[in-house]
Amino acid sequence: LECTMDAFLCLTSAYFPKWRRGHQTYKRTLVLLDNLNIRDTHSIFFRSLADRGFDLSFKTADDPSLSLIKYGQFLYDHLIIFSPSVEDFGGNINVETITSFIDGGGNVLVAAGSDIGDPLRELGSECGIEFDEEKTAVIDHHHYDVSDPGEHTLIVADPENLLKAPTIVGNPSDKPILFKGVGMVADPDNPLVLDILTGSSTSYSYFPDRPISQYPHAVGKNTLLIAGLQARNNARVVFSGSLYFFSDAFFNSAVQKATPGSQRYAQTGNMELAEALSQWVFKEAGVLRVGAVTHHPVGESTPPAAYTITDLVEYSVVIEKLSKGSWVPFDGKDIQLEFVRIDPFVRTYLKKNGDKYSVQFKLPDVYGVFQFKVDYNRLGYTHLYSSTQVSVRPLQHTQYDRFIPSAFPYYASVFSMMGGLFVFSIVFLHMKEKEKSD
Amino acid sequence: MAEHHSVSDSKHKASAVNIGASLSGNGRSSPAGTVGSSPTGALSTGIAQPAGWQSLLSFTILFLAWLAGFSARLFAVIRFESIIHEFDPWFNYRSTHHLTINGFYDFLNWFDDRAWYPLGRIVGGTVYPGLMVTAGLIHYVLNLLHITVHIRDVCVFLAPVFSGLTSISTFLLTRELWNQGAGLLAACFIAIVPGYISRSVAGSFDNEGIAIFALQFTYYLWVKSVKTGSVFWAIGCCLSYFYMVSAWGGYVFIINLIPLHVFVLLLMQRYSRRVYIAYSTFYIVGLVLSMQIPFVGFQPIRTSEHMAAAGVFALLQAYAFLQYLKDRLTRQEFQTLFFLGVSLAAGAVFLTVIYLTYTGRSTLYAKIHIPIIASVSEHQPTTWVSFFFDLHILVCTFPAGLWFCIKNINDERVFVALYAISAVYFAGVMVRLMLTLTPVVCMLSAIAFSSVFEHYLGDDMKRESPPIEDSSDEDDKRNSGNLYDKAGKVRKHVSEQEKTEEGLGPNIKSIVTMLMLMLLMMFAVHCTWVTSNAYSSPSVVLASYNNDGSRNILDDFREAYYWLRQNTEEQARVMSWWDYGYQIAGMANRTTLVDNNTWNNSHIALVGKAMSSNESAAYEIMRSLDVDYVLIIFGGVIGYSGDDINKFLWMVRIAEGEHPKEIRESDYFTPQGEFRVDKAGSPILLNCLMYKMSYYRFGEMQLDFRTPPGFDRTRNTEIGNKDIKLKHLEEAFTSEHWLVRIYKVKKEENRDPLVHSPRSSSSRQKYTSKKVQDPPRFSNGEL
Repeated sequence: LECTMDAFLCLTSAYFPKWRRGHQTYKRTLVLLDNLNIRDTHSIFFRSLADRGFDLSFKTADDPSLSLIKYGQFLYDHLIIFSPSVEDFGGNINVETITSFIDGGGNVLVAAGSDIGDPLRELGSECGIEFDEEKTAVIDHHHYDVSDPGEHTLIVADPENLLKAPTIVGNPSDKPILFKGVGMVADPDNPLVLDILTGSSTSYSYFPDRPISQYPHAVGKNTLLIAGLQARNNARVVFSGSLYFFSDAFFNSAVQKATPGSQRYAQTGNMELAEALSQWVFKEAGVLRVGAVTHHPVGESTPPAAYTITDLVEYSVVIEKLSKGSWVPFDGKDIQLEFVRIDPFVRTYLKKNGDKYSVQFKLPDVYGVFQFKVDYNRLGYTHLYSSTQVSVRPLQHTQYDRFIPSAFPYYASVFSMMGGLFVFSIVFLHMKEKEKSD
Repeated sequence: MAEHHSVSDSKHKASAVNIGASLSGNGRSSPAGTVGSSPTGALSTGIAQPAGWQSLLSFTILFLAWLAGFSARLFAVIRFESIIHEFDPWFNYRSTHHLTINGFYDFLNWFDDRAWYPLGRIVGGTVYPGLMVTAGLIHYVLNLLHITVHIRDVCVFLAPVFSGLTSISTFLLTRELWNQGAGLLAACFIAIVPGYISRSVAGSFDNEGIAIFALQFTYYLWVKSVKTGSVFWAIGCCLSYFYMVSAWGGYVFIINLIPLHVFVLLLMQRYSRRVYIAYSTFYIVGLVLSMQIPFVGFQPIRTSEHMAAAGVFALLQAYAFLQYLKDRLTRQEFQTLFFLGVSLAAGAVFLTVIYLTYTGRSTLYAKIHIPIIASVSEHQPTTWVSFFFDLHILVCTFPAGLWFCIKNINDERVFVALYAISAVYFAGVMVRLMLTLTPVVCMLSAIAFSSVFEHYLGDDMKRESPPIEDSSDEDDKRNSGNLYDKAGKVRKHVSEQEKTEEGLGPNIKSIVTMLMLMLLMMFAVHCTWVTSNAYSSPSVVLASYNNDGSRNILDDFREAYYWLRQNTEEQARVMSWWDYGYQIAGMANRTTLVDNNTWNNSHIALVGKAMSSNESAAYEIMRSLDVDYVLIIFGGVIGYSGDDINKFLWMVRIAEGEHPKEIRESDYFTPQGEFRVDKAGSPILLNCLMYKMSYYRFGEMQLDFRTPPGFDRTRNTEIGNKDIKLKHLEEAFTSEHWLVRIYKVKKEENRDPLVHSPRSSSSRQKYTSKKVQDPPRFSNGEL
């Protein structure tokens, strides 16, 4: 019995039909704002989204008509929350609906600030990210911008501190990033959270207007300025501690560290980073999927009911990547196939072969229920997982070698015995007659 | 039926001389046999008619025994329905089903990927196929005759039908050992004795059901071949032995008992050509045949259990060779040769014994040292009560029969004595081996009863018999060829007692006879009672009785298994303790991790470890085994004592055997060394997966007003952990009486919220504390 179980593909089944319906539908985006002014102060960012085909609906966060889900269907595919100070969402949106939106495959971009309200902190903790308290800010006395009024909260983040993942943060550039807002921390053991942008080693998070009486919530590189989450269903969430980060002002301002002798840049790196982040979080970049999986013994074209041990098997899988709205074959050098029965018995690289990745290998000399597993988990890409269960049976009674050399003595003994008995019978009968005649 | 005729016919032809004696014995033991009163001298005239009566009588008695045995086994079918019982029969049924649908070769090569996930099981190579093939063959023949029977019904009724064949082969064997009267008694005994019924009620589709027939029939043919010394009977014995090997692992008993018999015969100076021919043929042909069963394979030439047979074979050849040499050589030469041979043999035996001691591992060893074998209740030592329960009066009378046999010893009575002694020993070691004791107890008891009846039911025969017996007595010692059927022992008995018996009045005779008949009657009543009350429960369906005698059927098991079958994915993998593996596979048709074929201890230990760990550790194990559902049995609501909590310590022990670092049995006891599920129980027990699954939401349930909520009726305590929260599992199904509970293993969470991490508490605190404007959040030193 062979069965294919794509237990959890890159796309959940609920989400899958939407991809087919065309671009318009899967780019429906709800934007929640503190006030509608933000639409103008962050117009560059929104325009770039609109230019890329996103269908943006702007609402204030406390709009009583807000709704994400209707009749069990999501009304939007993406959610942008640019309303740091919201204390209660309007309509039927609350933290719970947002988390179920994420669990249903929706993507969320959250920008906070020092005036962060409870709902966003709660949303963060649901995603494994802990925001610092309201009124705190990330402070860095060594890396602040020259235009900082004196609290040292307008931070110039070094692009060195960006996550080394081009699909998420775009191509490397040396332009510093301007940041002003609240800090975050994440549990380093949490495998889903990505530290997209961290503070420098001299940064910390505290109330800028109070003397430090307690150990700060976040210190040094642990301070997260921008964090991301790719959930197990591949829904993506990005938290930025700073709403200003996305503002036109920050996009266009010049930046220079206050330390003497530092270089002045005419423009911040915010725009490029924001664009790359939005591409990643709204699944324009780094999206993979598994297509057809085929496996069969070499020389045949269909899989048998059960493989036999030490069969030579060919396995192939189609892996595609979303590029500008269409699926194209993915080009990866490090995709591995495992043949697993609790532990992997075979682990081998898949080689690109036309549109497919395939490999031929010999099944182990062990019977049982195995799985062909492709588990491709790379930073910035969707978690690609495909498992196909097959049975590997021992030899049938007709499949054993019949004429092995070590059996020849036995064959010889059998035939010599038969011959001997025959001769003996003749002799015996003959003798008897003789005796009688005597 | 044809068998009866031919067998009894041949018997009469073979031993015409004996007819007088055996006939009269038989006549005495049965009320209808009054014809037997004619004196032996007058046999020539009346022989035709009594022989006819005798065959008719034997035939009728055997037929009635078959019928009685068959009917007694139908309690379960009448009370419940035509259903397969217990655990192992479900597997046998499933594989028989596979056999009938896919044919023999597919069955032989069947690799079952739904058992022992993900290891799989080679069914064809790990079963004794005799049972399935027998049932499949019957089904095939019936269908060929257009009698369309479902294979389930064939399976259900197979064991009762075979009990009739067992009766007949017991009759044949006892007749060879003693006489026809004893044979008929033995046939009646074995038909209804509870020790055998326990494994052969309708629905109990298990190997033992047909194996006891094969066992008795093999012994019959063996005795026959020893008596006749003919290759024909020996080959028959081999074929029957082959059937036995294909049916049950208990064939090892045969392959040790027969060599033991031969060996003892050699020791007793009873070596003869007949023994030589019988054993040489049996050993060689039997060995080759037994190796044809894939499950047995090369074991007969490798394992220590079979070495005795090989050793005796060699010894017998050597002995025969020496006998031959003795005729050819001078005394001096012979002595030198003998001395040389003996010292070589002694050396070889010594080395073999050492080798076997180091490599051999019998079930007895395993029983003591491997918890999984010790955990099976069938492997516990037998109590005295169960001897009486299963055998009743027979257990008291069979030593008498044994005594009669030993007193009038000959080749085949040596055999039955060895059979009795070894079977008693093994039955004392393990409850399940009571089954091998039962037939020999029936035979020997029948001999005892038959002798007593012969004594006290007849009167004028005794004085006439001694002359005949005297003449045969000497033959008996030297050459026990023809006269076996004579009531030889009776003769001696009679001659000794002759003087005293003169004084036995008709009163004493009738009192003794009445007493014996009373005993037999009580035996029959006891057998029926035990069969009806103890051995006819399918254990898949439970019954309880109300105060007014009405009956409640608790069908929770099937309810749950059908739920699984209907509501889960085809490929869903169900984890349960191994007892329920066969039933899940058979009734729910779902993949199981472990089942009653406990061949892989470490896999079972892994399941035991999951059951006895806390929930998150168990979740790791369950994920690595791709478990979708967990099934447990919980008896706390109805007071069912065979539930998983009561078996739980075995899971812990088995898990500890493989994972001594993580699981320790002592952790599950209170400091006082008690196993308690109430508040005083050990915290590790109160938080392990099995406890949580058993008692999940049980704390909310109040069974009646006299007890607090969460009162466990099986253990009669209020449970200690009533507020059970499950994180990685969710309740999927609980049967009507909570007997079966099924949990679904949740997928990994989509996100990892902070609650999981150590800082989670501080983050929660922070939210509350924030309102109070007191930031204790820095106090934990989280960084």
